[in-house]
Formats: sequence, structure tokens, C-alpha cells
Amino acid sequence: MDTAEIETKVIQFIATKVENLDTSTINRSSKFEELGLDSMDTIQLLFDAEDAFGINFDSEEAKGFTSVGDIISYIENHQAQASS
Amino acid sequence: MRVIVTGMGVVSPIGIGTDQFWSAAVNGISGIKKITSFDASHLRSQIAGEVNEFNPASFLSPKYIEQTDRFTQLALLAADLALEDAGGLGAYAPQRVAISIGSGMGGFATFESSALRKFRNQPVPPFTVPRTMANSAAAWIAIKHRLKGVNLTCSTACSSGANAIGMALDLLRSGRADAVIAGGAEACVLPLTMNGFEILHALTTSSNGDPARASRPFAKGRDGFVMGEGAGILILEREEQATRRGAKIYAQLAGYGQACDASHIVMPDMEGQVAAMRGALDDAGMDPDSIDHINAHATSTPLGDIVETRAIKNLFGDRARHIAVNATKSMIGHSVGASAAIGSIATIMALHTGTIHPTINLEEADPECDLDYTANHAQQKHPRTGLCNAFGFGGNNASILFTTLNEGRD
Repeated sequence: MDTAEIETKVIQFIATKVENLDTSTINRSSKFEELGLDSMDTIQLLFDAEDAFGINFDSEEAKGFTSVGDIISYIENHQAQASS
Repeated sequence: MRVIVTGMGVVSPIGIGTDQFWSAAVNGISGIKKITSFDASHLRSQIAGEVNEFNPASFLSPKYIEQTDRFTQLALLAADLALEDAGGLGAYAPQRVAISIGSGMGGFATFESSALRKFRNQPVPPFTVPRTMANSAAAWIAIKHRLKGVNLTCSTACSSGANAIGMALDLLRSGRADAVIAGGAEACVLPLTMNGFEILHALTTSSNGDPARASRPFAKGRDGFVMGEGAGILILEREEQATRRGAKIYAQLAGYGQACDASHIVMPDMEGQVAAMRGALDDAGMDPDSIDHINAHATSTPLGDIVETRAIKNLFGDRARHIAVNATKSMIGHSVGASAAIGSIATIMALHTGTIHPTINLEEADPECDLDYTANHAQQKHPRTGLCNAFGFGGNNASILFTTLNEGRD
């Protein structure tokens, strides 16, 4: 899955967690807090991504995620590892 | 002080909304079909009363859908319909509006799917616990409508909905609340749950090829209940305050009786059922001769329908043969914790419209079931009083008494 596809998927998952969110404003630098994602929403987001991309987030590393880009970069790196 | 019903919402296999539900019930329409929500070919009972028309996306945002089990979604829709019917409860402070919901199994759809993932070594969804917990329906109704009063959940198996309505009566009498959203919700047409009931020989297995005739309370040859799902919600208020805000009034909730068999965990006991019905009468200050109608628990199990018949005859004596009894479950199956809430709506509609809906599939009654069960056709009886019975596992017996406004004490 290329970067654009990963971004689209992650943004779709975020859209199901916040009421009336304008998804066109979401980019890699968007912070979870700014988007209105609470800690439960973030855990659910990681779960969605694990299922969709067939990866497992390292829970210690995932605790440090604060932005959309953090998740996307992790997925990119681990998909690359899985296929190399 | 009288407690009255000012709004109703129902989500059932024979209709969403009171009008659709009642029209189907009066016409004896069965909502029992082959199970569609999962592959039931491994079960001996492959039919159920599912709410096939229900679409959570039609009224809930993706966030709500992701965070709620189906039983909560059914409850949310029934609550929306009831509140709309009552014209809203904006006349009351949010802290004075209580919620009292019954559910036997809670979010078991979530439990079953998360358990399956766990046993397959897949990650467990983060909302597994908040979706499964029995009080999630009451909590989400509060969140959706910003209602901050007493928030209770009753889980007493098949009588959960009746007890939740009884608890609401107590809340209004004690002054803990000015209005209560009360009822029950259940969504357990599920592989593990149905297998569990099947092992107890509680479900019918003889009618997979003829679903509409599978649920036949009081009929000769019945062989168990049909699993159902749904939700029923009432809006309850004190008469004086409801009248002041100009609410329409369907009926009075006049009494609530409760008793435990304290004998067997799943077998019914006549004495406990009699005690619950008598308790409801005593609570309302009424005598057995004043009862016109009974919406029976009547699940279509061989033993249960006989015991309930005996209980009615024991308590009401000669009067029993003049009471119009019926079984809503003949059309919608047994929706466990929602069943008595939906049965209450059927009882209230009987008082409100004068019509007793039929017990369908009753061509030939069991010789031990010898009351007037309103067989196969609706009857115009204009009842003034009606009991709704609910008897659950745990020997848990509840009976609630509704009357027209001209009946019962103040």
C-alpha cells in the first residue's frame, strides 16, 4: 500500500471518531488533540490500523504518538520491514 | 400521586415505532424468520425474531456506531421515538430526568465477537468493555440527550425490562426523579447465546422450515421459545407535572410486584408468579376482580405456559376465565430483557385503543392451558386494567399493572 493510500485510510478511521470533522483539513502534521481525538479514540485508531494494515504497534512506542504523521510513518516503516 | 405514561418507543421484529408495531400485532403478523445476521446452520434452532429493518446509520453517527453494541443502538432508537412521542422532556431540569433500562445479556454481540478474536490471537477491540457492559444502553441514552439524573440498569434475565419499569415507578414515587425513560433492550440473536439456551432445551427446534408458526404459546405441541431482539421504552412522569406541561396521557402505571422463587435457577415456580402478580395488585390498591387483561410472559416453552396458566387461575379464581390473556411473544419471539418492555407497550395500547391483540398459532390449546388467550384474532374488549407479566431465570418474577386514567387510586 503506498503512502497516499495509507493516509486516506487513516483519515477515514479518524473521521469515524469525531463528530462533524472536516476531513479536508487533516494532514500529517495534525495533532490528535487539535482534531478532538481523546485517548480512547487514539487506542481505537491504532486498533483499526492494525487490522487494516496487518501490523502490530509497539505499545511503548505508540504511547509517544501525538500526530497523524506519527502513525503513518510507523505504518510505512513496518510495512517496508514486513515486505523486505 | 399518580404515575402516567406519556410516550412510547418500540423497535421490534414486526415494526419500528408504536403505530407500525401495533398495527402488525393487532393483525397477527409474525416477525419470525430464518436467521440472517450470522450462519445459523450449526444450530438446532435456526430462526429468530430479528429487527431486519433496523439500520443504525440512519440515525447514529459513525462514532456512536463504533462505540456501541447493537442492544444499545436498539435502545437509543426506542428512546428517540419515545421522547419524540412525549414531545420531549425539556420542561424538566436534566438532573431530574432519570433513566432505568433492563437488559438480560447487555452487549453480548460485542462479547462474542471479541472473544472469538481473542481465541484466534487477534487484537481485542478497545471498546470491548464499554460496549459489552450492561449499563451502556442507559449511559448512551444519557449522553445522547444530556440527561444527568439517576441512571440505573437492571439485569434480571427475562424480567429485566419489567423490573426497570418498576424501578422507575419507585423513583417517581420517592421523588428521586421528575421523569424517567424506562424500558428494556436486548440483541442476543447470537451463535454462543443461542447455543447456550439450546443446551438448556429452552429453544424450539421443530419449526426451522416454518418460522412463522414456531412461536406458539399455550398451543398443544409447542416445544420452546424463539429467540428475539428489540427494545421498548416508556416515558413516565407524575400526572400533575405532565398535565402542567400539556403532555398526552396513554395510561397510568399503577403498580409493581416483585418476588423471587428462591428454589431453582431456571425452572419456574407458580408461587413466585402468584406473589408477583398479587404484589402489583396490592401496590395499586386493587383486588383481583378488577383485572381485565393480562399480557402473559408466555414464552412457548412446554412447562412455562402451564405454570403461568396455573398461577393466573390460583390468584384470580373464577375471574381467571373472564380475563383476556394474550402472548406478544407468539409474533415477535422472546427478546429476553426487552420482552416485558415491549409487552408493556402492547398492554398500554390495549388500554388506549380497546383492542386485545391475538395470540397467534393457537389452533389447538394444550389441555392444561385453558384460559381465554385471545386465540388468533384480535378482540375488542375495552380493558380498563392490564397486567404485564415477566418471569426470568433466577426465579425472578415481576408483574406491572397499567390502568386507564379512570381506574386505580390517586
